[in-house]
Amino acid sequence: MHTQLCAIKGSRDGLVVTINDAAQFSAVLDALEKQLIASESFFQGSTAKLMVREGALTADQLDAIERLINRHGMTLDRRPPSWGLPSNREPEPRTQGSALEENTLLVKRTIRSGQRLHYDGNVVVMGDVNPGAEIVCTGDILVLGSLRGVAHAGAEGKLDAIVFAFRLEPTQLRIAHLISRAPDEKLPQPEGPEIARVVGDRIQLSVYNH
Amino acid sequence: MGKVIVITSGKGGVGKTTTTANLGTGLAAMGQKVCLVDTDIGLRNLDVVMGLENRIVYDLLHVVEGQCRLRQALIKDKQFGDRLVLLPAPQTREKDAVTPEQMKKLTDELREEYDFVLLDSPAGIEHGFKNAIAGADTAIVVTTPEIAAVRDADRIIGLLEAAELYDPHLIINRVRPNMVRRGDMMSISDIDDILAIDILGVVPDDQDIIVSTNKGEPIVTDPKSRAGQAYRNIVRRLLGEDVPLMNLQERTVMHWFKRLLSGEAH
Repeated sequence: MHTQLCAIKGSRDGLVVTINDAAQFSAVLDALEKQLIASESFFQGSTAKLMVREGALTADQLDAIERLINRHGMTLDRRPPSWGLPSNREPEPRTQGSALEENTLLVKRTIRSGQRLHYDGNVVVMGDVNPGAEIVCTGDILVLGSLRGVAHAGAEGKLDAIVFAFRLEPTQLRIAHLISRAPDEKLPQPEGPEIARVVGDRIQLSVYNH
Repeated sequence: MGKVIVITSGKGGVGKTTTTANLGTGLAAMGQKVCLVDTDIGLRNLDVVMGLENRIVYDLLHVVEGQCRLRQALIKDKQFGDRLVLLPAPQTREKDAVTPEQMKKLTDELREEYDFVLLDSPAGIEHGFKNAIAGADTAIVVTTPEIAAVRDADRIIGLLEAAELYDPHLIINRVRPNMVRRGDMMSISDIDDILAIDILGVVPDDQDIIVSTNKGEPIVTDPKSRAGQAYRNIVRRLLGEDVPLMNLQERTVMHWFKRLLSGEAH
């Protein structure tokens, strides 16, 4: 994957604009403008936070970004981000989206039919996910129980997301853009935990060996 | 202070009303003072199952709107009189004619006087369901061994939790042991696997229920009926007794002998 100049992502706190400060600033600005135009109506009226290494931008550059964002009907939150990137320049290059360390949500109950859980990060369920229930998240899904509902891991395109369950019998399993469903006829199920991951262009289930 | 229990299911036709009628009658037979409330506004039928339809003058809506006193609307049971009363649902009005706050006030008034207040909930998860659960302390979820009914029961348990009605009890209705044995019907453990809540009772499928329902005489008072026995067991569990689940597979020699005497085939 080529190095991204900038990325706009939705999070619980509003939009987050991530900028690659290693690139030419003018190129970054162009790329940002293109993205803003492409999804103008979608972002309209929202507040954006900037995600950039501390001290990587001059005050003028920051102003330039703010003007650009304002022109497209958004406001920039200039408070220092609560989770800034570390200021040393190492484990680069990281792929898009993983610039944020992913959060993990711990759910200590059974997710029942009709209940949906959406989360920006990983989800761990200590309980079952029943048929008719749905979990969608941008990271991994771990179910310490039976997974019989619908699970969608890596919902924003993270192909290396996994789904794990003590009993993995989902109605439907999605990882990134890939979908697989339970076979129509009942197959013998392994008793132990299983893990689902993307292999090639398919979701593959395998017995979990630690 | 009495207990207020809502009997609910999500899916229609699984036997909520039959269960309410039988548990109410069973509790009254055990000496408890019981009030049954039909909250299924616009589609009432608890009065029919209890055989009290022709005695209705006032209903739940008249009470909450203050058009009559609560006592005037309560219909005494044919068999148990004062110990078992029914507050019927209005037949003609819309479901949103009553609010959850009014229901809570009503049930609080009833629990002063009765040991058990059983609320028969409508099917569905809309306004009527919210009314029915508003004043309840606990819930009994009724399901049948069908995937659709179990799925809806699961949904209901989730909604009950959201309404802070924790630890509901489960009644599995219309179980056919022969079909379970052949693998054609979900077993108790299949259902328990998914719902994972306390099983209050298992009621076998019994054609006599249809007869008793049509006659307006709950089957719980019929000593010969297996379903009646199942309901009597549930009643005793509600009163805190530890009664093991009925073994549905086994037919006792006595039972077989009685059937022979009564001239039933096979």
